[in-house]
Amino acid sequence: MSGAELRVGIDVGATNAHAVFMDGGGRLLARAKVPVGRDLRASLDAVLAELLGAAPDAISPGGPVRVTLGTRRVTDALAQRRGLTRVAVLRLGSPLTGGVPPLWTWPAELRAAVSAGEQIVGGGAEYDGRTPTPLDVDAVRRFLHRVAGTAEAVAVSGVFSPISPEQELAVADLVRRELGSGLPVSASHEIGSFGLLTRENATVLNATLIAPVQAVATALTGALRARDIAAETYFAQNDGSVMALEHALRFPVLMIGSGAALSIRGAAQLSGVADGVVVDVGGTRTEVSVLVHGFPREAAPPTEVAGVHTDFPLPEVWTLPVGAATADGGGDALAWELEDVDVLGGDAGAPVVAVGGGAALVEEALPGDHEVVLPAHGDVAGAIGAAIAPVSGRADVVCDRDSDHLDAALLRAHRTAVERAIHAGADPARVEIVEVEQMPLSYLVEPAFRVRVRATGPCV
Amino acid sequence: MRLDDDTLPDLARGCAILGAGGGGEIDLALAMARHAVDQHGPVDVIGLDDVPDDALLMPCGLVGSPTIAAERIPSGDEGLVLRAAVEARAGAPVAALMPYEIGGSNGLMPVVWAGRLGLPLVDADGMGRAFPSLAQLALELSDVHVGSWALTDGRGNVVAVDAADAVWAERLVRGASTTLGGVCAAAPAGLTGAQARAGAIAGSVSRALACGAAPDGTGRLLMEARVTEVARRVDGMRVHGSATLHGTGPDAGRRARLELQSEYLLALEDGDVLAAVPDIIALLGAQSGAPVPAQRLHRGQRVRLIALEAPEIWRSARGLAAAGPRAYGLDVDHAPIAPEPVRVRR
Repeated sequence: MSGAELRVGIDVGATNAHAVFMDGGGRLLARAKVPVGRDLRASLDAVLAELLGAAPDAISPGGPVRVTLGTRRVTDALAQRRGLTRVAVLRLGSPLTGGVPPLWTWPAELRAAVSAGEQIVGGGAEYDGRTPTPLDVDAVRRFLHRVAGTAEAVAVSGVFSPISPEQELAVADLVRRELGSGLPVSASHEIGSFGLLTRENATVLNATLIAPVQAVATALTGALRARDIAAETYFAQNDGSVMALEHALRFPVLMIGSGAALSIRGAAQLSGVADGVVVDVGGTRTEVSVLVHGFPREAAPPTEVAGVHTDFPLPEVWTLPVGAATADGGGDALAWELEDVDVLGGDAGAPVVAVGGGAALVEEALPGDHEVVLPAHGDVAGAIGAAIAPVSGRADVVCDRDSDHLDAALLRAHRTAVERAIHAGADPARVEIVEVEQMPLSYLVEPAFRVRVRATGPCV
Repeated sequence: MRLDDDTLPDLARGCAILGAGGGGEIDLALAMARHAVDQHGPVDVIGLDDVPDDALLMPCGLVGSPTIAAERIPSGDEGLVLRAAVEARAGAPVAALMPYEIGGSNGLMPVVWAGRLGLPLVDADGMGRAFPSLAQLALELSDVHVGSWALTDGRGNVVAVDAADAVWAERLVRGASTTLGGVCAAAPAGLTGAQARAGAIAGSVSRALACGAAPDGTGRLLMEARVTEVARRVDGMRVHGSATLHGTGPDAGRRARLELQSEYLLALEDGDVLAAVPDIIALLGAQSGAPVPAQRLHRGQRVRLIALEAPEIWRSARGLAAAGPRAYGLDVDHAPIAPEPVRVRR
């Protein structure tokens, strides 16, 4: 991204859509806010019209513009079980893993809305990469023919595929050969980390969210084209970074939790606070979260999405049922609710950044021992978070403690994280590793390590 | 007493509490147990006193890495393989199953297999909590020696171990579990009803159910706290961790230090013991009430630090030698759990 590039950040929330214009140096040029309806395209049209009206000369025709969208519509599709992609669920694990079949732990209604069939077939690896059970190609073929016609996507999850992804890749090939290249395949090694059930769940959620993300993408590109804006388009991810549209269509699951993440990142940018607590007061609800080095702190897994246990990182958010429109006792109702939030209970210390339409209530609601920061334009923090977000990629690998292997695994994780950031749209020349975590695993003869790496960079 | 879809979540929560932060996470084992009773019906629990002297019992569970078990999920049929191996050695039919370790996921695995085999579960276990070593079986303290084990990996491999003593059994079984894929299903072979009565911990399943049904009424509440620091290091074959807890609410101003390996081992305040292994130290999430596994402990969590007395035999001189703080390399003597502080609620 050139320093002079214009950025548009759009945040479509539950009650309002916000949009901001920023220049390459992070200066706010214009802002807009409109109420949202059910039709996403209409909301985008309205908020873009207002934004362009506020800064009519900001975009020169054909000039470089980067547009980033954050929306809760994708998560909502799951909650409402509407417009989901029907998924054929394949697990490579027999003779193991039958103790809990695929989707067995899902809420029955969601499972019925998502599944085009489930099957465990022979395959999978061991922790050291051995594959004692070859992939049962015939069983995969039989399953694919059984679901052909109903399945709109395939989710494949193999035992230890994060270490040994070959069988999942072979299945993706089989799907192309047997059912054609139009059927998208979500492969678990690209989506989740260790823990077969939680990774499989994330992979199926990913596949079923393809249609909702396509709908959002169509609305956004349509709204931009209608106004003659030739933009690079990005979608927000759950850590507050962004990914290019094509990447989002392959990994829709990364959009879950992105709405909250954007507000958190925007609050950090506006306030200059890198470590602290963010309180986002909306119309009818308040979200509290924690900032660590400018990024949202992750919730301790397993996380739950629409009643499904997964292991993918989501921002840790406490949602309180009060907001600017509901807190009739001024800050009292909010004070009452904030009392129960872990990160605010008792201790002073961490600065509190208050954003959202009702941010002013926070000063009133919190006892005097908290430093409360009320940044200007905090009511459009989500849109600002979208406009300033970098691109990121993550990797998660396990290795034994032998130092050669640890070094090799670290290198591999670094490379994977960087590759993923680049695939998501980051500038290859400016990608950096921003976070490395090593966690020992217990109860083995040889201690092993889990290594997690995050890389970020500006957009190309 | 019966274990079904209504009671299994309580049992799981109780097993996690008795796991003292270790023994493997319960979500997966709970899902497997629910699936088993859904497919095969509820599992009956019988008292240890109701087991005939010469009945063959099969204590069982998983040995190895819970992280690997979460990836390499058991098929549920391991119990059939273990039973066949144990019966072949003993020349008698297995009458009932029993957890060898009530703490953590191993408290639930025998439910999975009992459901599939249509056998009852005995209200007892081999440890009364979770321990990292198979040598830490309460049976050994009563001179009921467990040297013979049957192991299977779920791929058709069966390993029979005849060890000279419990320490060798731990070495050999642990080594085999690594070769078998990092985790395997395991059962001591040849335990009779009379031996179990002499050396097993009676009432473990009921205790777990009671703990899980009312976690807040469980044990002593030592401190309401926030985790302010967690440090982990690998030393030899073990992961050592230390955590600092700062008191919150009525415990504001207090500070505790927690030592952990695979389980929570020691809680200290100003150098004094609040609770020490083999007594059971557990952390419950302040809001959820859910037990916090040691592997998932992290900075910022708000928790309730609780402690439960270990079964009496573990607090004997022999028990403390096998499972007291010094058995874990901690330079502290065991002391009884501290009394609950007097708290003034806001």
